[in-house]
Amino acid sequence: MEQMNFENTLLNMSKPQIEELKHQDMLEHTIIKARDTSLLSWWWLSIPLYVIAAFCMKSFFMPGATLSTSIHEFSNKQHYLSILLFIIVPIAFILLNALSILKIYSIFGGVSRLKVIEETWFNLLMIVLSLLILITYLI
Amino acid sequence: MPLPWFKRSGLFFVPTTLIGWLLLMAALAYAVYTFIQINNENHSVSDTLMNFVFSLLIIGAVYSLIAFISIRASKTK
Repeated sequence: MEQMNFENTLLNMSKPQIEELKHQDMLEHTIIKARDTSLLSWWWLSIPLYVIAAFCMKSFFMPGATLSTSIHEFSNKQHYLSILLFIIVPIAFILLNALSILKIYSIFGGVSRLKVIEETWFNLLMIVLSLLILITYLI
Repeated sequence: MPLPWFKRSGLFFVPTTLIGWLLLMAALAYAVYTFIQINNENHSVSDTLMNFVFSLLIIGAVYSLIAFISIRASKTK
């Protein structure tokens, strides 16, 4: 009887199964962190983007005013604030988002670039917007 | 204090604990105070709105920074 039970137990036993891979868990955490970073970037980059949009409107409606003169005027009046908004914030978020993308890319193992782009498109958008702010200020 | 105080939902950090809700309420109260102050200083609606949006974005950015740090702190624990 005992032997039969043991045989049944052996028959019922299968290979140990891991439902979730450690790697998958790590990837999920990294993607969530990258999305949090992109959301933070969005809020901080919206400030210089708003200022640029306001200057664009000013140049459109006020004769003689251009985007570059308005930005220079702003940087003369608010020197430290303009450096913070137009240089420090974009550079910081370019670095943060690039690091997040690189981390996801390394965890994916460079297998599917399309999948990485699909997961990090908002981070890429934030890098593009940061570059746009930097170029607008420096030109 | 149980962390995280917030969770990400779309483009916003939504409070999940009492501290999170208190922070959101404080941010909203400060936004209202700023609006009243700007409205008293400016004499046209467009001036009030343009200056208020700038302040609102700064308040939102600081709120999101606090939420982001609280989420990061909870993950490193």
